Amino acid sequence: MLQVIAGQLPWWVAGPGVGLCVVALYALANAKLGVSGGWLQLLFVAERRPVTEPWRLWFTGGLVAGAFLAAGLGAGRVSGYGALSRHLPVPLLALVLLAVGVLIGYGARWAGGCTSGHGISGCSAGSPESFAATATFFLVAIVVTVLVHLLSGGAV
Amino acid sequence: MRWSALVVGVAFGFFLTGSGLGNYHTIHQGLLLRDPYIYLMMAATIATAATGIALLRRRGHTLFGEPLVIPRHPVRRQAVYGGAVFGVGFGVGATCPGITVAAIATGAWWGGLVLLGILGGLWLRGRAERRVREVGQRPPRRVPTA
Repeated sequence: MLQVIAGQLPWWVAGPGVGLCVVALYALANAKLGVSGGWLQLLFVAERRPVTEPWRLWFTGGLVAGAFLAAGLGAGRVSGYGALSRHLPVPLLALVLLAVGVLIGYGARWAGGCTSGHGISGCSAGSPESFAATATFFLVAIVVTVLVHLLSGGAV
Repeated sequence: MRWSALVVGVAFGFFLTGSGLGNYHTIHQGLLLRDPYIYLMMAATIATAATGIALLRRRGHTLFGEPLVIPRHPVRRQAVYGGAVFGVGFGVGATCPGITVAAIATGAWWGGLVLLGILGGLWLRGRAERRVREVGQRPPRRVPTA
């Protein structure tokens, strides 16, 4: 397939591209771009509860399609799970990644948004709550990453 | 609305995956403060979106002529508590709800397990909030622990 991306888009292409998505969703649909809300709607479907924001399922479906499109057009391939899969036995890796997901899902619903809803959309709209959430999760993530790095002797 | 959401979703997934954020290495090096890519991209995203939002606010309605309100919210405690829990997962896994899709699409199938965990975490938080409501205690934002 056509190699449009050649590994990794420069930040000055990917960044404004994502920014325009936020603007376009407001301009077209008066909706705030966010991903965890889409997974929440999918959870409602799985629980056979009413879907409260159907557009989010369409957005998330598009996200999945767009991700595979980029992969087909030359986005860098990945295998394994970085340093984690190099140093953890498979059962432990599975447990850690499941726990990672649970923390992310739990925290996102508690905070009312994730890296996209708060980090990108909310911050771009100048929402104080999104500044607080974004500063918190980036600071915590940096501290946790550095701690894990030091405790693992630089392995992870 | 659904077609707009679908089209914007495709573009969002494309740029997110094209940025290479689906690769553990990209975000991990960023969080170790060794590679500025994620911060430069985030800054470029917010600069672009903030400009567009400012223009849309001045215009006051969508391209289809509907009234457009882009709200700002005051800080509630749960944004910080939830953000802290989210940050632990973000730090250990170097991923987030959108980026895990980019990981899966580029061949990191382990991202599927993260996604399964995300659905589980969303469910757990919903259960915790329902429980607090049923018991009639203080509202969920004042629950001190995860």
